[in-house]
Amino acid sequence: MLTLRRNRKNETGNSASLSGKDTDSETKRRGASQWAVAWRRFKKHKSGLFGLGMIVVLLIVAIFNTVIAPYPARPAPDALKPLYDGEAAQAPSWKHPFGTTRMGLDVFSEIVHGSVYTIYVAVAATLITTVLTVAVGITAGYFGRYIDELLMRITEIFLVFPSLLLILVFARIFQLGNAEPFYSFLGINIPIGLTMIILIVSIFAWAGNARVVRGEVLRLKETEFIQAEKSLGASSWWIMLKHVFPNVLPQIIVLATLSMASAVLVEAAVSFLGFGDPNTYTWGRLMEESYSDMSTTWWSEVFPGLAVFLTVLAFNLFGDGIADALNPRLRE
Amino acid sequence: MNLLEISNLKTHFFTEAGVVKAVDDVSFNVEKGCTLGLVGESGSGKSVTAQSVLRIVPKPGRIVDGKILFDGEDLVQKKDGEMQRYRGKRISLIFQDPTSSLNPLFTIGNQLSDIVIQHDKVKKDAAIETVIKTLKLTRLPDPEEAIRRYPHQFSGGMKQRICIARALLLNPQLLFADEPTTSLDVTIQAQIISLLKDLQKDIGMTLVMITHDMGVVAEMCKCVVVLYAGHVMEIGPIETIFEAPHPYTAALLKAVPRLDQTRKLISIPGNIPNLITPPTGCRFHPRCEYAVALCKEKKPPLEDVGGDHFISCHRWRELRRGA
Amino acid sequence: MGFVKYIIRRGIYMIPLIIGISIVSFLVMYAAGDPIQIATAGNPGITEAQRDFLRHYYGLDTPIPAQYVRWLTHFLQGDFGQSLYGGRPVNEIISFYLFETLKLQLISIFLAFFISIPAGIYSALKQRSAADYTISGISIAGVSLPVFWFGIVLIIVLSYHMGLLPSAGAYGSPKLWPVFGISDPTLDALAHLVMPVTVLTLASLAYNVRLLRAGMLEVLRQDYVMAARASGISERKVLYKYSLKNAITPLITLLGLSIGASLAGAPLTETVFSWPGLGRAYVNAVSKLDFPLIMGTTMIVAIMILVANIITDLSYAWIDPRIHID
Repeated sequence: MLTLRRNRKNETGNSASLSGKDTDSETKRRGASQWAVAWRRFKKHKSGLFGLGMIVVLLIVAIFNTVIAPYPARPAPDALKPLYDGEAAQAPSWKHPFGTTRMGLDVFSEIVHGSVYTIYVAVAATLITTVLTVAVGITAGYFGRYIDELLMRITEIFLVFPSLLLILVFARIFQLGNAEPFYSFLGINIPIGLTMIILIVSIFAWAGNARVVRGEVLRLKETEFIQAEKSLGASSWWIMLKHVFPNVLPQIIVLATLSMASAVLVEAAVSFLGFGDPNTYTWGRLMEESYSDMSTTWWSEVFPGLAVFLTVLAFNLFGDGIADALNPRLRE
Repeated sequence: MNLLEISNLKTHFFTEAGVVKAVDDVSFNVEKGCTLGLVGESGSGKSVTAQSVLRIVPKPGRIVDGKILFDGEDLVQKKDGEMQRYRGKRISLIFQDPTSSLNPLFTIGNQLSDIVIQHDKVKKDAAIETVIKTLKLTRLPDPEEAIRRYPHQFSGGMKQRICIARALLLNPQLLFADEPTTSLDVTIQAQIISLLKDLQKDIGMTLVMITHDMGVVAEMCKCVVVLYAGHVMEIGPIETIFEAPHPYTAALLKAVPRLDQTRKLISIPGNIPNLITPPTGCRFHPRCEYAVALCKEKKPPLEDVGGDHFISCHRWRELRRGA
Repeated sequence: MGFVKYIIRRGIYMIPLIIGISIVSFLVMYAAGDPIQIATAGNPGITEAQRDFLRHYYGLDTPIPAQYVRWLTHFLQGDFGQSLYGGRPVNEIISFYLFETLKLQLISIFLAFFISIPAGIYSALKQRSAADYTISGISIAGVSLPVFWFGIVLIIVLSYHMGLLPSAGAYGSPKLWPVFGISDPTLDALAHLVMPVTVLTLASLAYNVRLLRAGMLEVLRQDYVMAARASGISERKVLYKYSLKNAITPLITLLGLSIGASLAGAPLTETVFSWPGLGRAYVNAVSKLDFPLIMGTTMIVAIMILVANIITDLSYAWIDPRIHID
């Protein structure tokens, strides 16, 4: 891609003849066809497809967790069946592919059940983070001046401070309020402690993304078509909804995918350090439980961590893939 | 005597969309001490030709085939290390945009003296002296002060003078000037053109002027090579080219604004073609007003029409008679 | 003199920021509840009178604004209060852990910085080659790697199974000193460093390489790089002098941030390797809700980061002559 970019700058006519795609159109409104083009490009992105494949596997595992896992989830008494069968602390075998913990839990089943929480963390944290990102990024970028100044100073504080430290403090403080462990909604039990952790993680995750979106909005604001809209007297909200938002959407999608990766990673870290929701058995929590046993039943520690690693990797690969597909301008 | 002989040069870019044949079978010679105009629209392959001679074609492009004889030696066959000793020392290139071709983070003195040190293995002081001397040559005011400054502290015209000095530091035998005035104000353009003209005369170096401006060509060049979509359309001395030009050259000439004439400016209809799937036969035929069926089918050979003049056109005889 | 003025002005800007951060942290902690109640919850024999005495002793019986003012005046004099557990001065605890934390952090930060430069350049230069795919692949894996898990895997393999390296702490007792048959305290300290440094280096290396690769890809297509090549400058100089300086700014930002945050330690890595550092101390303080210690560490880290930020901004002006400070 080196030459194409160079030539575009040097000899305006060259880009059309060399690349065959109009560079200006990237900045203009994205029609349905552009999503189709992005999808076609994504299909050629091997590592991106691989990431997508892993995410699909994770989703299948999470949806059919009760079918796939040989043992039920805690607190069902049968979760400890290997203990009663005298199979506690066993190394991986055909019956227990990832072995069993010293407590007598089947590690494979525990990971399968934990995947549901992983999906919950990824999706919920990303939703909250993205809402904050979009609100701050677009407002700051579009309105500029003192609003921008104020929002960017706040963003900077969130950005520079080592968020893990504060997340731990907040998580620990929320543990003190012994609320109900679950909130039942449409027959689904939503773990309140985990939701709190998600909220805390999200509050510390939006700052970097918001800066990127702001930069993108600033760039868009200078483009001719937005200037033209403005001179025609369109209202700010109209321009934002109709023109700015659709144009930053690809960027937001990319950031959201990468947010999923970091949310899963941070939640695992918080739980591993013992600040997680005591009522949910996330992968990080499984690692915390088996931490003291790693010299003996190493499998109970290694496999949950491997699950975290592969999941985060999947989201990152997928995010890179769609970044390349959606944003040829940023293409490396 | 020819300083540079390019024969059957092919430089292609291997992009994801396909192979872009930016320079496709180009041959021409540059006589020693002569100023040659390399003319064509954007995307005709003139810059890539210069980059090929210096062997600095950016990825994913590379020279696929052909010979570039410089002073009797084939540059295409040179190893990277050998080639590096030619660049800046024996062959130089002036870029189109002085702002983007000067590194913003280094002082002028630092950037320019590095080139002297690299080639002549001299001490920093001696190199700086050469730099000041060359900057004086390009009529940059106060060169002793200029070397301590950064590119952004100069105007566009001054920056182009610095770039010219950079190219002339080591008295190269061959200088390419790649549209050196396109990014400058009109008044500055004239100054730079006259500077280049004077320098060429004083130093007696060989200059290849890459441009799309026939006015510049008329003012400076002795002979002209016209490129279109990676093919050579016409080669010849300036007088004959202006008299009996190729249909494409004629179209280029009509697009030049002139003060002494009140005729309308005529732009060439259509766009430069897609070089991944270039037109068959003569590459100019889709835009040529004289095109016939044959032009679409067969690539016209570069024919000697007498008087060192070569034309690649099936219909040159008829057109010359008509003119 | 713009330089001095700039620093003074930035320093003045820091003051409201620091006060803001301290008020917020103060409020958050007091929102959690009565620290003495929390600290003594595990002690059934304690009487309410004893609790009152403790509250009075730690100055927790006055209104919160008064407590904050008291905390702030002490803080401005460099006194961060006392730990609620054992009553040791916070300053003492922090300085006790400081050296080990900085040792671990700085070694890793600089290793990651200097390894990432050739790796990032090479990766960008040989874009789409096997080497580039390998480097990019390793760095995306590195970004995705949970550091604590990686540390645990290293401990399991290298310590428990192969017995090569010590699994915990920064030093061993003389009995545990022997490394490869040689008994030496320095070698022992180095052996303790290997795994935590590897983990931390790899974690930041991955980010650095990705940043530098992206920056170099952008710079390598600039005209001034082609111009340097066209002037016959050696490839080495084109890359390491003329391109790197243009591409390194994001890396410098990251370096500044990580040095600033280095005092916070690496809570995860230090916990996994039982490293006697501030990060681990912080995690322990948080789990015990030892407020004075949490406040003290938080404030020091915040100040360090703000100072590092100013230095980073100054370094921009030093790198890029187009940036003016004033």
